[in-house]
Amino acid sequence: MREAIPVPYFGAGLKEWLFTTDHKKIGILYLTTSYIFFLVAGLFGLIIRLEQTSPGIQYVQPDFYNYLLTGHGAVLLLWWAIASHIGGFGNFLLPLMIGAKDVAFPRLNALSWWAFFGASVLVLLTLIPGNHIKMMWTGYPPYSTTGDAGVTAMYVFIIHLIGISSIATAVNFITTYIKMRAPGIHFWNTNMFVHCLIAANVIQLVGVPSLAGAVTMLLLDKYLGTNFYNPAKGGDPLLYQNVFWFYSHPVVYVQILPVFGFFSEIVPTFARRPLFGYKTMIFAVWGITLLSFMVWIHHMFVSGVPDWIRVIMSYTTILIAVPTGIKIFNWMGTLHGGAIILRSPMLYALGGIFMFLIGGLTGIPNAMVAIDLGISDSLFIVGHFHYVLGMALTLGLFGAIIYWFPKMTGKMYPEGFGKLSFWLVFIGANLFYFFQMVVGMLGNPRRYPDYPPIPEWVTLHHIQTVGAFILGLGVLVFTIGIIKGLLSGEKAPDNPWNSQSLEWRIASPAPVDNFGEEHPKVEPDYHPYKYGAPPAF
Amino acid sequence: MEQVFAYPAKWWSEAVTVWLVVAVVIYVIVAIPGLYFIMKYRFKPGVREIGDHEKHGHWGLEALWTIVPTIIVLVLATYSFAVFKKQRTAPPDAMTIKVTGFMWGWQVEYLDEKGNTIKTVVTSFNPSSYEIPEDQKIVVPAGKPVKALLTSLDVIHSFYVKPARITEDMVPGRITHLWFQINKPGEYWVFCREFCGTGHSHMFTKLKVVPPEQFALWLKSETNVANKPSQIDGNL
Repeated sequence: MREAIPVPYFGAGLKEWLFTTDHKKIGILYLTTSYIFFLVAGLFGLIIRLEQTSPGIQYVQPDFYNYLLTGHGAVLLLWWAIASHIGGFGNFLLPLMIGAKDVAFPRLNALSWWAFFGASVLVLLTLIPGNHIKMMWTGYPPYSTTGDAGVTAMYVFIIHLIGISSIATAVNFITTYIKMRAPGIHFWNTNMFVHCLIAANVIQLVGVPSLAGAVTMLLLDKYLGTNFYNPAKGGDPLLYQNVFWFYSHPVVYVQILPVFGFFSEIVPTFARRPLFGYKTMIFAVWGITLLSFMVWIHHMFVSGVPDWIRVIMSYTTILIAVPTGIKIFNWMGTLHGGAIILRSPMLYALGGIFMFLIGGLTGIPNAMVAIDLGISDSLFIVGHFHYVLGMALTLGLFGAIIYWFPKMTGKMYPEGFGKLSFWLVFIGANLFYFFQMVVGMLGNPRRYPDYPPIPEWVTLHHIQTVGAFILGLGVLVFTIGIIKGLLSGEKAPDNPWNSQSLEWRIASPAPVDNFGEEHPKVEPDYHPYKYGAPPAF
Repeated sequence: MEQVFAYPAKWWSEAVTVWLVVAVVIYVIVAIPGLYFIMKYRFKPGVREIGDHEKHGHWGLEALWTIVPTIIVLVLATYSFAVFKKQRTAPPDAMTIKVTGFMWGWQVEYLDEKGNTIKTVVTSFNPSSYEIPEDQKIVVPAGKPVKALLTSLDVIHSFYVKPARITEDMVPGRITHLWFQINKPGEYWVFCREFCGTGHSHMFTKLKVVPPEQFALWLKSETNVANKPSQIDGNL
């Protein structure tokens, strides 16, 4: 059917976009959808922030606040933090990086996208006042089985659709990587992004059924009168938490691993030097994947589970610091002896790594069960995961958007917008989340629209709000940059960054048939980070 | 010797200090060289156009930054284990109270030697302010360990004793526990930290720590629900 779709992207008609099975178009559909959802959920976040600025209820009532918080969490985690880089960048880059024509099952891929689209529509339906979900993205019973929680069924169906989409994508990507690599591409010369993507999808494949099971039991409990989680009839609310976190902890690695992949692509390109410790990086990725399923109790350190399991999972959790540490050290090793060019993707990647460093170090007290007893469910944990999942991830994604913008659109992202937005986002985010952790350490509970007028708390909340608005301005500048780049960006060369990786060998924007033949010719000594020649720019 | 303000807050603060020192040291060790590399190894047209492309890694270095962090985190986890044991084990002379969460408040029961409830304090939900009536404060004696047995009537709540830096969830169908000891008389915050719905941020009360003699007198006096039917439904 190749001759039927001659024009990539902007030339393509609506019919083509609707029925496409092209991995690049599906990738762009995912990315666009999750970016729009990111903006809306970010706006939710700003309202949440505004409400907390001063004690008392100022702008939104608690019920609406709880809806905003639920939406902010669920949408940023499932759309921005998963769909944008697994569905978006994963689809776009995986076949290009391994030299394939498409993914293994293009129609299944389209089905994944449409299931995801269905979930997106359901999310939009929750915007209608009677449809608010107010039980937080975690949806703990017995609260989520009460009327106060909102439309639990909607939440369950959103998770089901996302789950179908995730499992199908995972099967697709893993098969694609195993079966469709170009001759010459093997385990030890695969891009780090692909390694991370495959590890993330292995987690998806193993974990998603667990979450689907947890929410299915929730649905049966609430609407059909079963008692899985009802203690009055022999059920146990903690069953939900166990089954829920068995997936929902590993999912943070689904979210962050591809971002580690972005860092590992961008840093060598702009340091003009091979990725330091490539092999230990691969071991670290798989080490994280393995450990990720052995730590979920750290979300339940104060939930009433037995003390012995808290101690065991405290050890396994803190051990994850080792492979993540290795990755940070290796990025620093890549910088050493480089010829560093601080273009905006590089700024974003380095900024992301620095955010992750702070995020990683502030993860340690959550793993140390003795400290966690005093900070559990405080704003400390909120600040911590906004450093890692919020900001390291967003900075990585913004960097990736600028970096692969030429290959996706054929135009360059305007550099000035990239630099300006970086500094706004970086400064705003640090101002915001650092002081969020401080106020959490002082005891401020999370998920509070209102709090007592304790003077230090009030001051710290004021600083956070200032930071949040600088951050918001940065995101706005970045978004305007995308629009400007699309409309009037300068025409991109095929390989603007002079990268060694396979995806830059084809035209910009990427042609419909990728490499034109089944596989590109890969020379025997190919390596994606074989930097040795000066860049062309 | 300096007077300890509260347990297990003392050990908690020590643990936080230990972590903070380790974290700051690691941050400096990683961030300072990182920033230095970014400054020093810059691309300069005609002078430095390619990076050092011979070095792909260094097994010694990579082994070093695998083994040393492993030792550090295992030491931290073991230290945390030791503190955790103290945080979770109430001293044998602890006085026991029963605390039951509901949407949105707590019922606190004080027991006699035989374990019978002799006094009850129930907090009421006040969505508009953080003022708390005198008879809804949880009164405990200063300098005496208090073990709280926790459960819930409806959804999951938690009991966070801010001065003692200790939290535990209140789960319907389960009895969980925590213990604390405040040595300095005064009034301190108690919050719910597990999301429990509309009134979550106003599920709070004050812990009123009084000298032991005053506590003994208070225990004998009228309570806010002493002669009234319980304000909350359900079988406790």
